[in-house]
Amino acid sequence: MIYRESGQFKTTYAADQAMLPILQDKIFVLAVIALAVALPFLVSNYVIQALLLPFLIYSLAAIGLNILVGYCGQISLGTGGFMAVGAFAAWNILTRMPEMPILVGFVLGALCASGAGVLFGLPALRIKGFYLAVTTLAAQFFLVWLLQRPFFVDYSATGVISAQEIQLLGWTVDSGIDKYLFALAVVVIMALVAKNLVRSSTGRKWMAIRDMDVAAEIIGIRPMMTKLKAFAVSSFFVGLAGILWAYLYLGQLEANAFDIYTSFDVLFMVIIGGLGSILGSFLGAAFVVLVPIFLNIVPGWLGLPLDTAMVSYIEVFTFGALIIFFLIVEPHGLARLWTIAKQKLRLWPFPY
Amino acid sequence: MAAQPQESAGAARAGESLLKVEDVQLSFGGVHALRNVSFEIRRRQIFSIIGPNGAGKSSMLNCINGFYQPSAGTITYKGEPRKQMRPYQAASQGIARTFQNIALFTGMSTLDNIMTGRHLKAQSTLVENALWIGRARREEMAHRHFCEEIIDFLEIQQHRKTPVGTLPYGLQKRVELGRALAAEPELLLLDEPMAGMNLEEKQDMARFILDVNDQYGMTIALIEHDMAVVMDLSDRIVVLDHGEKIGEGTPDEVSSDPRVIEAYLGTQQEEEA
Repeated sequence: MIYRESGQFKTTYAADQAMLPILQDKIFVLAVIALAVALPFLVSNYVIQALLLPFLIYSLAAIGLNILVGYCGQISLGTGGFMAVGAFAAWNILTRMPEMPILVGFVLGALCASGAGVLFGLPALRIKGFYLAVTTLAAQFFLVWLLQRPFFVDYSATGVISAQEIQLLGWTVDSGIDKYLFALAVVVIMALVAKNLVRSSTGRKWMAIRDMDVAAEIIGIRPMMTKLKAFAVSSFFVGLAGILWAYLYLGQLEANAFDIYTSFDVLFMVIIGGLGSILGSFLGAAFVVLVPIFLNIVPGWLGLPLDTAMVSYIEVFTFGALIIFFLIVEPHGLARLWTIAKQKLRLWPFPY
Repeated sequence: MAAQPQESAGAARAGESLLKVEDVQLSFGGVHALRNVSFEIRRRQIFSIIGPNGAGKSSMLNCINGFYQPSAGTITYKGEPRKQMRPYQAASQGIARTFQNIALFTGMSTLDNIMTGRHLKAQSTLVENALWIGRARREEMAHRHFCEEIIDFLEIQQHRKTPVGTLPYGLQKRVELGRALAAEPELLLLDEPMAGMNLEEKQDMARFILDVNDQYGMTIALIEHDMAVVMDLSDRIVVLDHGEKIGEGTPDEVSSDPRVIEAYLGTQQEEEA
């Protein structure tokens, strides 16, 4: 009964094209953002650093990959590599030019990731599907290998390179709450940017290439430009996520932190959350980041006397089973479940 | 009988030459899909290409919109002979088309499909789109307005937000026409727009084709198997068989041409007439 759009008439195209055309959605999203801002003050520092921060950063990476895979239909297994390029580029720029504002350094770092994305996206002009996946896999291994060369970072001294402190108009981002709020701001802004892109002519071109590339070319879409733009934008988001991962979560730079498992994790988030959905990127990230931790603490709650090795086995098994279950129940991901729920809510409590 | 007033109307309406095909050949290996085909499409004409299956009709359209490169011969579009080109270049020169097998973007809504068809008119850059400022916003609204007019014209208002994959066949054909119209083309290529339709849907589609020609002044090149439709709609017809042109003229001339009757229309058509 609450989720009703009747009586909300649109008199302009602007109102109908709005991001959230239904009033209840607007209220809901504002409430979620308010809760997200209030959340760090309600939970422990451990929860912020170990749960919320990775969730936000992975969401950003998932949005980036979703633009490429879900909207433009080009598969990539190089996410980890592009994250690493973003982080290392930002670090190098900020180290070599210390007077540069940190946000500018971050943007430049993400732009470097964009460049790497375009470079490794070039094969997409010729090949599709699994073959493209394999060539982007090369990006993953090559980039991580390359970034361990001393030209980029000289590990020799201690083996650890710490990230610069983030300072912004006199605000030093050092406590867990600060880091969380900084990440939240970046993720919310970038999610809005992604939403704007996918509802504009840029996004429609991506989807046209995804749905039928031959027809897209015949109505005048240039496949090369469109695919490379998707690689560039996607890698920008992914690179920014890499920067946040290094600067906020790890606090140090390490190429091996962006290994192939990172790429897989982000791809799983996109698939589980829902291809071609910004909301799905958040849901997928939440699922992949939060569910294993939840599964880890459940045996403790139930008071089961299990040793840690056993708990981690159960965690892996259950997580795998859940992925299979969700994909069988709804192959289009959690975002589709959410859409279906909203459809049902529009009529509830009446059957039709 | 019906063709008589149409012929004079067609002759009066037809303007200067829009597309000239001269001695075009197309071969795949040893197979000759087109052999020395020549014809001319004038502005505001409804021009039909007919012929039995495998005659090279679709190949001809594919040559016109840059999907295939003719192995010999010239295609002159808007007075300029053209060389190698890609389909997107043909589109940007004002050639739009629909497909024999529907080629819509199935994951998108009707409105989004038609809006995608209009992308050539979009000037806004990636950054403007990302920030939803200035030109991006204005253009989106202007294009929405234009696309809504197409939606009204094609009478698909209630399917505006439906994913096109779920629409019935006849409506999908209409959406595809809408997507081609959104580009405001000068030359509209329709590859069997009425294939697989029932009588009512055919009548609707014929009405849309005539209205498009009449209201928007678009030149239309059409492939269709339904002879009644072709004879009724066309100003001029070219007949292909085994890649060769075997006849050309007004519907009356073509339907009385003995070579055409022999190759395509058959003796039955004569009996009916």
